[in-house]
Amino acid sequence: MIQLFHVSKYYDRRPALSDVNLQIAKGEFVLLMGPSGAGKTTLLKLLFCAESPDQGQILVQNRNVARLRRSDVPYLRRSMGMVFQDFRLLPKKNVFENVALPLVVQGASAFETKRKVTEALKAVGVEHRKDSRPTTLSAGEQQRVSIARAIVNGPIILLADEPTGNLDPELAGEIIELFKAINARGTTVMVATHNRQVADQVSRRVVTLNQGKLVSDEGVGQ
Amino acid sequence: MRVVAYLVREAFSNIRVNRTTTLIAVATTAFTLACFGVFLLLYLNLRGVISSLQDDIQVVLYLDDGLPAQQVSDLQQRLKTEPGIASLAYVSKDQAVADFRAQFPSEAHLLQGLGENPLPASFVVTLGPRFRSSESIKRLADRMKDIPGVAQIQYSREWVENLATVIGYVELAAIAVGAILSAASVTIIASIIRLTLYARRDEIEIMHLIGATGAFIRIPYLLEGAVLGALGGLLSLALLKGGFEFFKLQLGAPGRLLGISSGFSFFPDHISLLMVLVGLLLGFTGSGVSLLRFGRAKA
Repeated sequence: MIQLFHVSKYYDRRPALSDVNLQIAKGEFVLLMGPSGAGKTTLLKLLFCAESPDQGQILVQNRNVARLRRSDVPYLRRSMGMVFQDFRLLPKKNVFENVALPLVVQGASAFETKRKVTEALKAVGVEHRKDSRPTTLSAGEQQRVSIARAIVNGPIILLADEPTGNLDPELAGEIIELFKAINARGTTVMVATHNRQVADQVSRRVVTLNQGKLVSDEGVGQ
Repeated sequence: MRVVAYLVREAFSNIRVNRTTTLIAVATTAFTLACFGVFLLLYLNLRGVISSLQDDIQVVLYLDDGLPAQQVSDLQQRLKTEPGIASLAYVSKDQAVADFRAQFPSEAHLLQGLGENPLPASFVVTLGPRFRSSESIKRLADRMKDIPGVAQIQYSREWVENLATVIGYVELAAIAVGAILSAASVTIIASIIRLTLYARRDEIEIMHLIGATGAFIRIPYLLEGAVLGALGGLLSLALLKGGFEFFKLQLGAPGRLLGISSGFSFFPDHISLLMVLVGLLLGFTGSGVSLLRFGRAKA
């Protein structure tokens, strides 16, 4: 599903990632751990083509994303869902419109959009807030909406960058449970976090980065 | 179809939400287009005035005194074959005196005591529309002056040439001012759209992340620019129309007396439509320029 071969990325000649090799199979749940500046966000950015590697090759669904044309990037992203620490919701649109966006850009019909958005909102438990603006929601609810937006397309891969960073431990636990439920339906999930408690809760494969290097890859459970 | 509806809705939503920037963009576009419009109005009206004056251009061929009737008749036949002459009227010596008395009744005493009628007979020639330029008139006059029996040729060549020169300068000024103001308008709209883009860069990034193509993100901004430009064009027309009516009103009675005000006219419909389209195009270009720059800055 995801393969990285000798991947390096530099910012101002300083390595953000250094010779990283990693294989993630379809349907896996992988936690990407490490302190701030370890290279977790850089790795995720490489996967969704926000950055390109300076060295090495990255295959996502057997496509070499390092060589992907710029015009093809949106189409790759449509097969992925992304969740961020700061939720990245559009404040001027309500919850329904925010979750519907990935479907709108693909030209889905109004009927299909309504059905899929309702399903996604139900799955994350915020269906009752569909007409609210994101700014009127709690942090936990905002993150649920952002997860609904990430899964509304039925993505093959879900990438999350510190999704519990702005949440208290209880809410963080609920969000992780949501990711586990999404993974149980067959979606490959990759969550970057520096929170050890999350790792304890997930009990799955943990890949640890430090100063841009992959320092451990421990498969727990599955 | 749904995507198109979404993009159009987004463009109008941007316009509605960002009211202050919308007002600034429309007002500045309207002002710049109105400045250009003033020159255009001036140019079109001057051209209209020239055209109507050219309708009145006549060439008068004064004849030798005592020219026999047969020779006058021959000359008339000869003139009728001349290309460019639309109509021809013979004014006899007696008719010339009668015309003088009718036109200048208070000066009629000047003719008394002169004994013999001093006014010559003449042919008054009206030219066809294609032969009213100063060059055509001069060519015709050159051909006529050597015809036996023609004593003198009179036509208002100088003022026709002067007017043509003035029109040429106004035309040049209109083009120069139009080009400068168009560039200013594009720059202003580009700056406004760029400000909008920077204010909404997070939103644009989110759209990129969820798989929106560049065109999907750009189209609402291009539409927004085009709509702002078109609104600016409409407002400029309203400003110009208001100014034009005010000017006509101010000109009032003296203008009517001189026959000037009735000759002035506002833009015909197709020019008005063109002004709105130019506004639309300027707005669209302004948006395009800012999107290009924004794209480069992001890269």
